[in-house]
Amino acid sequence: MKVIALIAVIMTGALLIYGVEDMPGWGDPNSPASSYVSPQYIQEATEKTATPNIVTAVLADYRSYDTMGETVVVFTAAIGCILMLRKKRNGEGG
Amino acid sequence: MLDYVISKYNFWIYIILMMIGLYAMIGKKNLVKKLIGMNVFQSAIILFYVSIGVKAGATVPILSGHGHGHEAIDVASYINPLPHVLMLTAIVVSIATTGIALATLILIYRKYNTLEEDEILKIRKETGA
Amino acid sequence: MIWQLDLILCLFIIICAIAAINVKDLLAAVIILGAYSFFMCLLWTEMGAVDVAFTEASVGAGVGTVLFIAAVSKTKRRSKD
Repeated sequence: MKVIALIAVIMTGALLIYGVEDMPGWGDPNSPASSYVSPQYIQEATEKTATPNIVTAVLADYRSYDTMGETVVVFTAAIGCILMLRKKRNGEGG
Repeated sequence: MLDYVISKYNFWIYIILMMIGLYAMIGKKNLVKKLIGMNVFQSAIILFYVSIGVKAGATVPILSGHGHGHEAIDVASYINPLPHVLMLTAIVVSIATTGIALATLILIYRKYNTLEEDEILKIRKETGA
Repeated sequence: MIWQLDLILCLFIIICAIAAINVKDLLAAVIILGAYSFFMCLLWTEMGAVDVAFTEASVGAGVGTVLFIAAVSKTKRRSKD
């Protein structure tokens, strides 16, 4: 079992190392991740949302529906934990 | 060769951490150990996302100006904020999944009185469930 | 980037990750996971992701460790591997 796990892990690592070939280098300002929508955020966020912290501006203003969905996820997890761990009363299933 | 390794060192770190986490998830028998491996794995992914947003010589994405000036902002001097936003969401969701997993683990312990995977499978085979 | 700090942090992170999955005592493993989370958040602060580091320090290392300790205290502390 452990040997199979080790082989699977090493194969996955080899695949990932093969994939690193195409990634941009460390600290590249023109990498694909920072060249499409993020310059727009950096340039316009302060003017449009009056928040100096760009991360907060994007989190709570541009992508506020995303954050609302996140709170729904946390709420569902809390309800799930409560339902799973509650003490059962007599004669009640679940 | 050394230059190539150093210029992409963040990827090596994340690959090593990911392999550690994946090995713990597959190879370890204890269920809490599997969960710890999952946490390591998630941190590795978040490290990957944070590290692709880094720009060399840039500062944190908080503007130091007054906020309503119309001077041009140099994009290359601020770190890409988008991966940070996505990873904030990912951290909170990862804690939610960890909580649900731990609740499930407590239920498993109440039913089988053990947390070792092989013992649970043995008990299930003996009772025919 | 301060490469010495980066190197030390990466080294500590990998040591903590390996220790957390190899310790037999589950409570010790959980505490080492908390230390791993804090080292991770130091690394992110060093990469400039201050908001992510805040969230990880409070949610990942704080609440996560508390949840793990609660679960371990309700179940068994010893592990076979």
